[in-house]
Amino acid sequence: MTMTAILFKILLLGVTNALGIWAAVGLFLAGSWLPLSGLVLGLVALNFAVLSKRAYPLRYLLPGLIPFFLMVVYPIASNMAVAFTNFGTGHRLTKEQVIAHFESRFYLPEGGERFTYQAFRGPAGSLILLLTSTVTGTNYLSERGILQAVELTDPRFVYDGAEIVEINGHHRLSRRELVQIMGELQELSLQWGDEAVRLVSLAEFGVARRQYRYDPAEGVLTDLRTGIAYTPVEGIFTSVHGERLQPGFAVFIGARNFTEIITNPHISGPFFRIFTWTFLWAFLSVATTFTLGLALALLLNDPYLELRNFYRTLLIVPYAIPGFISILVWGGMLNVDFGIVNRILHDLFATKIPWFHDPLWARVAVLLVNLWLGYAYMMIVCLGALQSIPQELYEAARVDGANRIQLLGKVTLPLLLISIAPLLVGSFAFNFNNFNVIFLLTGGGPPIPGAITPAGATDILISYTYNLAFGAAGARYGFAAAVSLIIFMIIGTISAINFRLTRNLERVGESL
Amino acid sequence: MYSRHTLPGKLLRHLLICGMITFALFPVLWIFSASLNPGNTLFGQAFIPENPTLRHYQELFNSPRHPFGLWLWNSIKVSGIASLLTVSLAALGAYALSRFRFRGRRTGLLALLIIQMFPQMLAMVAIYLLLLEIGRHIPGLGLNTHAGLIMVYLGGAMGFNTWLMKGYFDTIPRELEESAMIDGATHFQAFLQIILPLARPILAVIFILSFIGTYSDFLLPSILLTGTENFTFAVGLRLFILGEYATRWGIFAAACMLGALPILVVFLSLQRFLISGLTRGAVKG
Amino acid sequence: MKRAMALLLGFTMLWGLIGAAWASRPGVLTIWADSTRAPILAELSPAFTAEFGIPVEVQEVPFGDIRARLGVAGPAGEGPDIIIGPHDWIGEFIADGLLEPLRFLEGMRDQFVPVSIEAFSSGGEIWGLPYLTEAIGILYNRDLVPAVPETYDEFIALARELTDPERGQFGFLTNIPQPDPFHSFPFFTASGGYIFGLDEEGVLDPCDIGLATEGAIRGGHLILELITAGLVPVGTDYAAMTGLFNDGKAGMILTGPWAVADARAAGINYGIAKLPAIEGQPMRPFVGVHGFMVSSFSANKLLAMVFLQEFIVTKEAKLALYEADPRNPAFLPALEVVAADPDVAAWAANEAVGIPMPSIPEMAAVWSAWADALTLIVTQQLSPEDALRDAVARIRGLIGC
Repeated sequence: MTMTAILFKILLLGVTNALGIWAAVGLFLAGSWLPLSGLVLGLVALNFAVLSKRAYPLRYLLPGLIPFFLMVVYPIASNMAVAFTNFGTGHRLTKEQVIAHFESRFYLPEGGERFTYQAFRGPAGSLILLLTSTVTGTNYLSERGILQAVELTDPRFVYDGAEIVEINGHHRLSRRELVQIMGELQELSLQWGDEAVRLVSLAEFGVARRQYRYDPAEGVLTDLRTGIAYTPVEGIFTSVHGERLQPGFAVFIGARNFTEIITNPHISGPFFRIFTWTFLWAFLSVATTFTLGLALALLLNDPYLELRNFYRTLLIVPYAIPGFISILVWGGMLNVDFGIVNRILHDLFATKIPWFHDPLWARVAVLLVNLWLGYAYMMIVCLGALQSIPQELYEAARVDGANRIQLLGKVTLPLLLISIAPLLVGSFAFNFNNFNVIFLLTGGGPPIPGAITPAGATDILISYTYNLAFGAAGARYGFAAAVSLIIFMIIGTISAINFRLTRNLERVGESL
Repeated sequence: MYSRHTLPGKLLRHLLICGMITFALFPVLWIFSASLNPGNTLFGQAFIPENPTLRHYQELFNSPRHPFGLWLWNSIKVSGIASLLTVSLAALGAYALSRFRFRGRRTGLLALLIIQMFPQMLAMVAIYLLLLEIGRHIPGLGLNTHAGLIMVYLGGAMGFNTWLMKGYFDTIPRELEESAMIDGATHFQAFLQIILPLARPILAVIFILSFIGTYSDFLLPSILLTGTENFTFAVGLRLFILGEYATRWGIFAAACMLGALPILVVFLSLQRFLISGLTRGAVKG
Repeated sequence: MKRAMALLLGFTMLWGLIGAAWASRPGVLTIWADSTRAPILAELSPAFTAEFGIPVEVQEVPFGDIRARLGVAGPAGEGPDIIIGPHDWIGEFIADGLLEPLRFLEGMRDQFVPVSIEAFSSGGEIWGLPYLTEAIGILYNRDLVPAVPETYDEFIALARELTDPERGQFGFLTNIPQPDPFHSFPFFTASGGYIFGLDEEGVLDPCDIGLATEGAIRGGHLILELITAGLVPVGTDYAAMTGLFNDGKAGMILTGPWAVADARAAGINYGIAKLPAIEGQPMRPFVGVHGFMVSSFSANKLLAMVFLQEFIVTKEAKLALYEADPRNPAFLPALEVVAADPDVAAWAANEAVGIPMPSIPEMAAVWSAWADALTLIVTQQLSPEDALRDAVARIRGLIGC
């Protein structure tokens, strides 16, 4: 390697390490251990890759693997962690946040005194407050956080007419300035005898008492107003009599989310029906888009066809429109009474298809829209793959007397499938989890008459569980995470099997 | 495989394709018609608008709270950069997987593909918090930054992209690099100067697929980008349709039409690569 | 050579130890509002900044996203200080500890329409500053319908007269078949249906669901009759209903104040009427109240309250909000100013008999089951009795009663 190259490499590594250490220090000080360990691991791997000869291939893989681990693996890991908790509505915060929330609550006791006030700021930034009780009219001066009674004739006060403009070198703050230091004012807690006085509104201070106290040793939160003690039960502070305080915090609940999936009749009941449809949906989506894509590719591959390029361009357009727009438009076009499709059908054949009201037609509708969305991708892929089949094979087959159909079946298709098979597997997995079309077009409906579960006729596993996790009583992230994991295991297994099968296909192809 | 057509055969073929084109373009034409129609509905009116107007297009560029032109530019910028980087990362990875023999090569790639099949339902919250954390330590890379968004997209760079490229690289004979290395070139130089130029078609393929994928994506940017001036086209579009009660279809349709243009431009200019690109990559051996 | 390189490496690594941490500072008010209200606030807030010197940042966030994001952004420290939203959000927010109670409103209760404060109250505290109230009513085309009948039988008779499907003309349209349970509520309440009953302490009891009572089933039958009598096509959704109305093809539609702007723009000579009474009983719609809420994770809590108390709860601000988005103000002084407008009076008449939407998190289960029941009723796959009974069973199962 040349001198400049080596220097460049060292400099780059050095700068990266510098940035990494800078960030690591920040993380260390903030006590974020997980990101810190991730960062350290990443840095070590990077240095290893650059400096070690044995890890040479790692240099090529690392730039892609780092964002992969960060943005794909890490969310999956956190997903798995959440699956064992009850994170969700009512349990969104951490225990520390909940305790902080309660300990920051103040209440104004009945008959508690209120004070109007004036604020004065000194050159060094210190603050003096003059409070006037609305009940007794007594004036108090705050000094070092303690209220002391004063007379209006106090020599420290400087008057301008009837208004006090200065106290002890501190100038009076205008209303506007008061608003600007709201943040500072609201944190003040002034001692008045054995009570605390805090800012209650822009205009007044008032006697305020802390409402809760947490005892870390016992783990008990006490309501100082009522005297009731609360201990955490599954993330919610509960009293002996069963009164619960909101908000709660997320806690580890073991495998309860997973067992619920098995034991809850809402989920286990329709499970097989939904799974079957999900499988069918993915399979038919791939089959229809592939068939149409291939058919178009075969047509467009024909050198004797005029206007090929023009046609090809037009047929790609659906792929260029963002999906959620197209789905919405299709939803409107398929409206039973007012959609253009039914209007045309009515004019021509005097029928209206109950697109979203009948289970069968709703399934046809989602498959139709998915076909529209996906055929272009398959067409492009097939067009390419067709080019790679050697002409000699066709000629040899022709010589043996094969006709067009046999050419297609015995030469084109097998060789095509070898190269495209993994893409088909990928497309299957993608559609298995293809939430978008179902959600935006039918929302999982139409509902099944007589069903006690919210599963509709077009619900796939992921849309159904999404409804359960987020559409019952607030959001249940823990549950949704558990379900995601299960779905992943299902589709992962199916795909792994498929990949294995296609590998065998390749071996067959190699012998050709 | 093909032979000259008879007249009926020719007619049949053209008819089939035209039928297909109708199916393909019908919704698009409907959107176009709505963009010219003065009203704000999509389906109450006739297909060919009675009083066509360009008002919606003008409205698009005249609302200061919704800087549509800026959004389009943001989308092009984000998608362009993300796609370029994706192509680079995938190419690097594909080269290593194609040329070097090391343990876990095949399983690793398979694992990569399968891991990405994990349902993305909850990933959003995790990514949001992750970027929030990163943004606290590295200023330009957190929430509400384009750099952060691009970084999230790069997470998906390795995967089917790498697989496709690897297949393509496999078909490039090794002798070319070997002779260059005998002359004193390093692996990396061989990669840059020999493999990449030859692989231009597949690079274009991955670029287009990434561009279209990131351009149409609205989920990630709507969660990660919080400032209106940072929005991408898809996120801005969502603002129009997520009004509290009704969709402002007129403006929405006009926005769709204009928004589709960059993609079509990218696609049309790189189209020829697409076809020849996927050929060599697809066949093993 | 090697030593030089090692030195260089070490030196550049040293740079890393010199870091600077920075965080954003409070002292700026951040408001999340959707596209209807963001522009109004953006116009109003400079006056606040001018008077008090505090910058106000209005961020436009899609309506549905505000609710979803507050729960993630708030605890993470990235949330806003103030949000604007409907009252039925507070159930979930309170359960997650996301809102700050607005104590300053205690002394101002009588300055607001009573149902608006009620809607934002829970557990003895007020959680939002109401600024508008809305309920659905009958929006009608004066050119087709001189006056809207006050009894349901006359109402249906008039609708029948005006309906001529061949010419694409309709007497009465509603988007209930979409399905839209929100708009179907008045049919259920007229004969005694309800969503959640009250327990002994006057708190909503999620296990007491009134969607399958006799009165509710009666309502279900009335809706079914709309379909079978050919008055409302089963595919009618919001777009179709308003589209036809704005084209002058529909006499009366069941909708809320949000639809008026488009009708006005389309040049329809419109009027607003009270919902007809069914056998002497009023049809009670849901009342929705929208207001300003303060995030409990805000760094500027008192400042936010100052903004609300000094600035929003003024006749001027409320009227400005009304001008831009004509839905009845909840603030009595402002309401008095606009009360002369017949539209305002008509909407208020509907609100007067309305019922606030329940705000507890269990409503989510209700909406989905109810929507499915409506679909099964309007497509005539199940009788109203069966559909509604199934829905209630499902809700109870989901909530865990």
